[in-house]
Amino acid sequence: MLISWQLLKEFIDFAEDVTPEQAAERLTLSGTEIESIERPAGKLSGVVAARVQILERHESDDKLLVAHLDTGSGKYHKCVTSAHNIKQGDLVLYAGEGAVLPDGNVLGVRDFKGVKSAGMMLSAGELGLPDVDDNTGLLILPDDAVPGTDARTLYHIGDVILDVSITPNRGDLLSLLGMARELKGLFNKSNLITPWWLRPLKHVNDWSESFGNINLPDKGCIAYRLGLATGAEIKKSPLTVRIDLQHLGMRPINNAVDVTNYIMLALGQPLHAFDLNTLPAREITVRAANNGEKMTTLDNKERILNEQDMLITSGGEAIAIAGVMGGLQTGINDNTKTIVIESACFSPVRVGYTSRRLGIASEAAFRFSRTVDPVLSSRALSAALTLLSHWCGAEVGYKVLSAENEHKEPEAIKLTRAKLNKYLNWADLDESRKILEGFGIKYLSGNKDELEFMPPSFRPDISIEEDLIEEIGRYRGYNDAPAKLPGELPRRAELGSEMSLALYTRNFMMARGYTEVVTYSFLPEKFYEFLRLDESDIRAKPLVLANPISRDQMAMRTTLIPGLLTGLKNSILSGWREPVRIFEQGKIFLRDNNNSHIEFNKLAGLLFNGVDARDIYKQPEDFYSLKADVTALIEGRGFNNIIFEADSESFAHSGQTASVSIIINNNKIKLGFIARLKPSLEQELDINNNIYIFELDLTPLENIKRPELKPASLYPASTRDISLLVNKSKSHADIEHDIRESVSAAAEAKNLDLNILESLRLFDVYQGKGIPEGFVSLAYSLAYRLNDRTLKDDEVESLHNAVRESLSLKGYTMR
Amino acid sequence: MGNYKDVEDIRSAFEADLKSIDNIKSLDEMRVKYAGKKGVLTLALKSLGKLPADERPQAGQELNILRDEIERELEAKKIAINNLENERKELSEKIDVTLPARGRDCGAFHPVMQTMYEIAEIMTGLGYSIALGPEKEEEFYNFECLNIPAWHPARDMQDTFYFPDNIESDNGKINRTLLRTHTSPVQVRSMLKYGAPLRVVCPGKVYRRDNDPTHSPMFNQMEGLLIDKDVSFAVLKGTIGEMMNAFFGRNLKNRFRASYFPFTEPSMELDIECVECGGHDAHCRICKGTGWLEVAGMGMVHPNVIRAGGIDPEIYNGFAFGIGLDRMAMLKYNINDLRLLFDGNVSYFLSGRSNRSERRAESC
Repeated sequence: MLISWQLLKEFIDFAEDVTPEQAAERLTLSGTEIESIERPAGKLSGVVAARVQILERHESDDKLLVAHLDTGSGKYHKCVTSAHNIKQGDLVLYAGEGAVLPDGNVLGVRDFKGVKSAGMMLSAGELGLPDVDDNTGLLILPDDAVPGTDARTLYHIGDVILDVSITPNRGDLLSLLGMARELKGLFNKSNLITPWWLRPLKHVNDWSESFGNINLPDKGCIAYRLGLATGAEIKKSPLTVRIDLQHLGMRPINNAVDVTNYIMLALGQPLHAFDLNTLPAREITVRAANNGEKMTTLDNKERILNEQDMLITSGGEAIAIAGVMGGLQTGINDNTKTIVIESACFSPVRVGYTSRRLGIASEAAFRFSRTVDPVLSSRALSAALTLLSHWCGAEVGYKVLSAENEHKEPEAIKLTRAKLNKYLNWADLDESRKILEGFGIKYLSGNKDELEFMPPSFRPDISIEEDLIEEIGRYRGYNDAPAKLPGELPRRAELGSEMSLALYTRNFMMARGYTEVVTYSFLPEKFYEFLRLDESDIRAKPLVLANPISRDQMAMRTTLIPGLLTGLKNSILSGWREPVRIFEQGKIFLRDNNNSHIEFNKLAGLLFNGVDARDIYKQPEDFYSLKADVTALIEGRGFNNIIFEADSESFAHSGQTASVSIIINNNKIKLGFIARLKPSLEQELDINNNIYIFELDLTPLENIKRPELKPASLYPASTRDISLLVNKSKSHADIEHDIRESVSAAAEAKNLDLNILESLRLFDVYQGKGIPEGFVSLAYSLAYRLNDRTLKDDEVESLHNAVRESLSLKGYTMR
Repeated sequence: MGNYKDVEDIRSAFEADLKSIDNIKSLDEMRVKYAGKKGVLTLALKSLGKLPADERPQAGQELNILRDEIERELEAKKIAINNLENERKELSEKIDVTLPARGRDCGAFHPVMQTMYEIAEIMTGLGYSIALGPEKEEEFYNFECLNIPAWHPARDMQDTFYFPDNIESDNGKINRTLLRTHTSPVQVRSMLKYGAPLRVVCPGKVYRRDNDPTHSPMFNQMEGLLIDKDVSFAVLKGTIGEMMNAFFGRNLKNRFRASYFPFTEPSMELDIECVECGGHDAHCRICKGTGWLEVAGMGMVHPNVIRAGGIDPEIYNGFAFGIGLDRMAMLKYNINDLRLLFDGNVSYFLSGRSNRSERRAESC
């Protein structure tokens, strides 16, 4: 909100020299942030009021006029203009030779076809105030301007404007009056002043027009008052008022409308001006709207209402949405003679609800929803009528028609020494009383340990003791307060299992060469179509935002994979040609059994050899690299029963996809998958090299599994190799299983320990010369070892032969 | 010693032979020649019988000494030749150590996540546990519990993403679901779960309907909450100052401005001295010449919020603070554009690496 320093001074006498900058600093530190301090007149200097003493035609150009200007110096200045809205005797603003305009332009002497013209006479636009005038010519000053007076001291042209950011609890600050009260509290020696137009109006006459009742069946209307102005002349407001309004960000319209805006800016009370003759009936009722009731607001939009909304009606016809926006029909026009001014108070809850639901952020709704002082409406109406009489020449000495509903009165609040001391480490109650009284909070009674106060009607935000403490705290400032750390630790701090696992995973992945990324939780509306997810897949039924910013950020992710693919794509688009390894840990959102969505933590990773995958060591990464990463990640948590099984994912290569599971308490728990991305998707992404991805739910690994540690056997191991010729379609897992089974069976037959096979390791895979088509030769190394004695050579021989025999029986060909 | 002439002859012949040896094969031949079964020493020993009986012991002793000497020297020569041969081999195996490393370079952290973990570490050191809450939150926890009823204009401070699915709460009222607009709902969830006294920090993603160069619709916050008996502003001030100094690694000037949050009373905001210019640059890009950076909102927890957390505000009070992790990360890592953080582009996160092509030593 914008505040005029000069208007502010009509409400407060600082009693000491306070600059706008000092006030801004004090306000900012006490909770009302000043975003900027502007001087709209900028570099304006050397511009003065001047009277047009002589006005003549330019001898050689009909379009130009030559003015002889009196600036009080006794000497006339000759100045040429093309504007034709002036006449002899007018007062104008004159920027002579050497004068500076707000934008910094310095004026000199110009020759207009033989006439030397010094500087120029100014229009409102050239003064930086385009809305003040209709801009058809020069700005004509009122008759009271004294020639020679510096423009900066005239009509608030040299005002200082503060841009104030007001927190939602301080509706009372949305006015000059409110800011003056706040500054009175912050600068304790100041005094509040009542401007002349705010002195009470004497109501004398009954209305000269007949008018019926004001009915307030809806309790959300706390007060409703109407004042009458007759014989008004609708024209421009006084120049100072127009300049004030433009400085404060409002467009001057006409004197009647300007009165309502001026009062709102000055006092914080929204007003509405009706033309009496356009009211459907001479009666006002404020009632709840009916569900589905429609009304067209003055921005020409049809609004559909419900029973939470409040309507102002006249003769049964809606003329305004109470406190939010007026209707189209009843406003002031140039022919208006009889003005009815409405000054009302509405429930902040109701206005807030309606303005938010309808998306109308009018000045009135903004103020009402932040609470307008309920006792203000009568004062503001009186002030408005006073201004109407001065600015429009209207007759206003009429009684005010009004109706009220009950509203909550402020309640007394105790301030205790104990709580004050607890919060602020400071407890001077006498000083506190002075501070609170400065903010208009009334002292009621008290003793040495507690005081009782009554907050004023304009501070509904003060209702509990902590609120009083805040007033004291922000007055005193927090920067001199002591600083210390808390004492006794109530309990030891814990990272918690979820965070511990995330931290482990993060450190693991980074050490393993992956870069941590964070991508958006929302994805394009139809992301699952790109992933070829089947309708039956739970991931194809995302949770969709009701009010997204765009279609690209609309569906909550059901998998982290699209984010990683986007990261890869963005990396490549930015010119990155080297390998890309990224991972993300984050939430996905899936439907649960009750059909509502819940969140799951996921880890996903992506591996890509680079747009340019040439490498001096010629070891491109592939599915098995990913498998190593995932295996080590899981094994690092103590789990070594990891099972990779051929599986399928709609977006993955049909021959290079595996599910990842672990065994916990004899249950196989699926953690996720590792895969190469489907080649057609790689092509759609326009990426020329294989992309490997994985996605896991690591939650089952939250508790580290305690490893069983044992020393190596004291007796040596005997190793034997075995080479098998197998059909390519047979999996390594199956072969390993068969070998282990054969060893167990042979050991049992020889009466040896069933766990005699200490390790089984595939060390060579060969296909090519000497190996039939469709077959592959696999070489395994077997280590036999006992814990309690050394195996004898002949024992090993006979055991190993039995294993070979058993494998032959299973159909294996030994090489 | 040495009057047995053969001994001296053998010794000098051996020394002469040994000198000319430069490989293991010749050395083995020499071993056979002198110390072998039919070698010079064996023959000499056998010929001792030809000597007079009184000279024999002396000559035998000398020959035995010579044999020990020869064996020692052969062994020493063997080691010397071996070493020499290894040296030669090593020379032939010389590699270019400046060739690139095999395999993967190290990964890199995400600045915001790094910030989150760093601050979590600082705060656990101060006795704060980590508490986590859902990102898809109920209107009840996100607003109502925090003293922000539906009509409250403070809701305008946080433009909210809503979901179409509603939850019916216990009192039969419809409770809309939304993406949490701040981490503050975890305050109430933690109080309900753990009771008082309590110290937690709650990091996580939050969402607001805002998208421009300085606002991302998704960003990260960390909430801090302390509930105990007789908690004063001084403790809040000490704690938040300690945290900022620890995070930025030096003592920073700070100032507290009074402010407003519906869930704290009194409320303040913390400004720290500009980490870029320290308040010495009127045109500073980071602080806009003010010398101050707004980094955290905080206050003493509002009694209504403590009550919503199932704790008696007459017995316990406390403070809460919220910091923007993205902002902290941007300040610490000198990041200008918030949107760079969430597009997954590795070239940005790895750009902090020195050029990975090998540099020559003198360029260090």
